[in-house]
Amino acid sequence: MELFNSESKKIINDPINVNNPISLQVLGICSALAVTIRLDQAIIMTLAVIFVLCSSNVILSLIRDYIPSRVRIVIMLSVIASLVSVVDELLQAYLYDMSKQLSVFVGLIITNCIIMGRAEAFALKNGPSKAFLDGLGNGLGYGMIIIIVSFFRELFGAGTITLPDGGAGYVLFSIPEAWYAAGYENIGLLVLSPGAFFILGLVIWTQREIFGIEEGE
Amino acid sequence: MHSNNYTLGFVFIVTVILGTLLSFTKENVRDLQEYNLKADVKKNILRSLNFVETESEPWSNEVVERIFNKNVQAFCVNTNGDLVDCILEEVDTERNIEVLPVYLKVVDNKTEGIAVPVAGKGLWSTVFGYIALEPDTDTVLGIQFYKHGETPGLGGEVEKAWFTNNFVGKKIRSNDDKVIGIEVLKGKVDSSNPYSMHQVDGISGATVTGKGVGSFLKEDLGRYESYFNKVRADGTI
Repeated sequence: MELFNSESKKIINDPINVNNPISLQVLGICSALAVTIRLDQAIIMTLAVIFVLCSSNVILSLIRDYIPSRVRIVIMLSVIASLVSVVDELLQAYLYDMSKQLSVFVGLIITNCIIMGRAEAFALKNGPSKAFLDGLGNGLGYGMIIIIVSFFRELFGAGTITLPDGGAGYVLFSIPEAWYAAGYENIGLLVLSPGAFFILGLVIWTQREIFGIEEGE
Repeated sequence: MHSNNYTLGFVFIVTVILGTLLSFTKENVRDLQEYNLKADVKKNILRSLNFVETESEPWSNEVVERIFNKNVQAFCVNTNGDLVDCILEEVDTERNIEVLPVYLKVVDNKTEGIAVPVAGKGLWSTVFGYIALEPDTDTVLGIQFYKHGETPGLGGEVEKAWFTNNFVGKKIRSNDDKVIGIEVLKGKVDSSNPYSMHQVDGISGATVTGKGVGSFLKEDLGRYESYFNKVRADGTI
């Protein structure tokens, strides 16, 4: 099978654009609000979600013909929960500062509706390579939104842009002191969860405008 | 429809495989995780003692270990201020209030600061930190909160520099030399007030967290009072 034929492209592209899990299906909002305070957190969270989503999709797709349908939800949950625990343990070992900041939200990837949703809707019905692409697409779709949201939240809320660097984060940009002296102020609201709702709302609006999507009558 | 035996067998096998995967991962990273935790504790002690992380030498675990071993002496005292034996990593200051850890900052054979752990209830959670005093056991050298579950942006601000910097230079002893700690006000400190040297600005929207911090500082520093008095009387530490 050719990897990037039009069907594969569609599997990857759709969840990023016209069928984005956050902005169009409105799934996974909980973590989108929680880990978007800083850009570096959002990036690490995205990588974690992509890893879990791709691996759980592939694993479940491989065993899809053997899973007894009565216990499929339990099996899906155990596979996802184990993968998430592995990610959590690895973060604590190799990216300690980041794991402290993300705290419970790494564990909460288990309850991220996107992952269960893709397992049930796609992985159990398709082969492993397609399931992998679907996981990648949805992970990127999720990541794109939380990275956009966190970029604006951090820039206007805290006045910095931080990239992950294995430690406490590398500050790429911060608003110069002179601006503060001249009367510029950070928007405190953006640091709080309601701030994320506002930005997310704007992102959803923009994206729906771009793709011309309207609520079905 | 699969049979019950098949279903049970399947679930059993999946469980065994996943369980093995998890324990395998944990076994492989456990040492590293424990090392991280210990380094993190040391990092916070260093910060409270006014060691500053520099651009040229970021605080990796190894750097923290080196600075700590070179400049910090750690031991325990009891509530009477006498030295006692202890294994610092196993001291649980929440449960056992008889064994009190002390961290001295010693640079070129001169004692420059005394850090002690403090912890207590904020609004939602227990707030953990270290407070460091100058050798006069009165003036605050630095304070650092490293673990809490307070609301980010409100009570969570306790860990931010703008809040902790306010403690620097404040006095924990009253005029008659009792250890009274530092009070976190609701609102701003009025510097014309004679008590202002024992007070810091509160965090707006986090009055309860501030009150909690004030009360556990008083309580925890109070336990060290005998030790602090000895230090002050002898001039030795």
